[in-house]
Amino acid sequence: MVRRSLADKEFPLEESFFEEMKRYLGFSAEDAALLQRLGPRMEKYFPEMAERFYAQIPLHPNAFRVFTGGEAQVARLKQTLQQWARGLFAGAYDAAYAEERYQIGHRHVRAGVEQKYIISAMGIVRTFLSECLLLEFPASDERLRYAHSLSKILDLDLNLICESYMHATMHGLRSLNQQLERANEDLAEASRTKNEFLAHISHELRTPLNSILGFTKLILDGLCKTPAEERELLRDVFASAQHLLSLVNDLLDIGRIEAGRMSLHVEEIDVRHLFDSTLPLVAIQVVEKQLELRDETLGVKLPRIRADEVRLRQVLLNLLSNAVKFTAKGSITLRARAEEGFLRIEVEDTGMGIPVHLRGAVFHKFVQVPAGQSRRTGGTGLGLAISRRLVEMMGGQIGIEGGSSGRGTCVWLTVPLAEQPAKASVPERESVPASTRSAGEPGGGVSGPV
Amino acid sequence: MSKLRRILIVEDHALVAKFYRLALERAGGYACLVTEDVPEMLREVEAGRVDLAVLDVSLSETEWEGKPIDGVSLARLLRERSARPLRILLATAHAMAGDREKLLAASGADDYLEKPVYEAGQLVGKVERLLSSH
Repeated sequence: MVRRSLADKEFPLEESFFEEMKRYLGFSAEDAALLQRLGPRMEKYFPEMAERFYAQIPLHPNAFRVFTGGEAQVARLKQTLQQWARGLFAGAYDAAYAEERYQIGHRHVRAGVEQKYIISAMGIVRTFLSECLLLEFPASDERLRYAHSLSKILDLDLNLICESYMHATMHGLRSLNQQLERANEDLAEASRTKNEFLAHISHELRTPLNSILGFTKLILDGLCKTPAEERELLRDVFASAQHLLSLVNDLLDIGRIEAGRMSLHVEEIDVRHLFDSTLPLVAIQVVEKQLELRDETLGVKLPRIRADEVRLRQVLLNLLSNAVKFTAKGSITLRARAEEGFLRIEVEDTGMGIPVHLRGAVFHKFVQVPAGQSRRTGGTGLGLAISRRLVEMMGGQIGIEGGSSGRGTCVWLTVPLAEQPAKASVPERESVPASTRSAGEPGGGVSGPV
Repeated sequence: MSKLRRILIVEDHALVAKFYRLALERAGGYACLVTEDVPEMLREVEAGRVDLAVLDVSLSETEWEGKPIDGVSLARLLRERSARPLRILLATAHAMAGDREKLLAASGADDYLEKPVYEAGQLVGKVERLLSSH
């Protein structure tokens, strides 16, 4: 019975291979006849050959490594070896013979026996069988004829087995090549994203910088009519500089996170204080846009949490600012509730909403709601990416849903409650007992000549 | 012509638009109209009240007949509807450098303005050259 592995299907033994090798080695019908005649006289040496052969294996720890089946496997190996030797003198050296030898090679490849052991093992067999010939045929003329044919069939067998190794190597290289191609595509994609980001970011940085330069130049050139107008322009300059600063801060943050240099100061904090110190920061924008800011956490007793207060405020502020930014009319709602060891905080708006297919993507770096919707709002496209990383570093999660009214957006995040320090943030890894590792194929692991 | 030259500014970034307006009004002595509303632009050009339009290529908030319209298409539309010869200055971002000639050809604009612009004199100089070329 011939078993086929993936590699066999991908690289079948070419039918012409064996015939070509026979021609190359000069293996003739005469050799076949000689070997067949030799068979019965060699049979008695096979058990000793198997013993001699096996005695070599423990000398090579790497080759011996595949023998994990104990005495039964050793006995099976010795039987298989004798069976293989019998095949050498069977007289039929056809396609079926070639296929069988080729499959022996594949079984070795799968069992992880290195090719060098196969080659040296064949050398041991060759030496032993030569010694047998010396005993059987003391006359050198006769012995030489047999030795010649025997040498050819052993070479043919070795060629067939090594062909399996070659094919396995090619298969390995091919899949390695595919992996490299994929890795290459990923790198090109990453590079493209990076370039787009650079183009985008330089545009984003330039816009406020232009306003700063343009308006200060207008003032310096004396083009303002009144001091009030100068003050107005200076306010624009100031707002642009603030915007520029927030862009630069975002860039520094993401750079720090990417380089693994962002360290958090996690401690037990009071959520009420967090909310009370954050909401006023968006109050002006809310009033300017005539929106309503609803704090549904007022009057609710909030549990203490474990977080980096400065960074969590940054995240919350980012979510609130986004909500204000993307909402033309209606309200922004803040909610919070304890849930399975975490505090869940929600910021919901009645704004333009985010299409379902983009909800995961907005947490990736540089991804913004498509141009045409968000251009006017500006920003680096880094806010949510930074928020996600910060929340995850604190042991929580962040996600996005549609607003409860069917319109708008609801961004939620979770942070561990103080009563359960650290545990929730570091999931315990399940240990895999080493003993369950497979010890190789039963029966078919090692068979054939080596 | 003694009449005050009037310039239409279409730019989706409010502070950039404001800079164009102030630069053109104060350093150039032009009258300006800043808008992103296409019907309003058409009313103005059809009435022959606009001499030159400064159009940003990418306009995130501007729509015409239910679809977003960019500065390139807007240039064609305005010129087609204008009661008087209309000069058009297309504002293109630095990143579009490679496409600039194509954009100029596609829009039929007279010249482009390479953003960023923060020198009033630079903007006024371009506008003056275009308006005096006829």
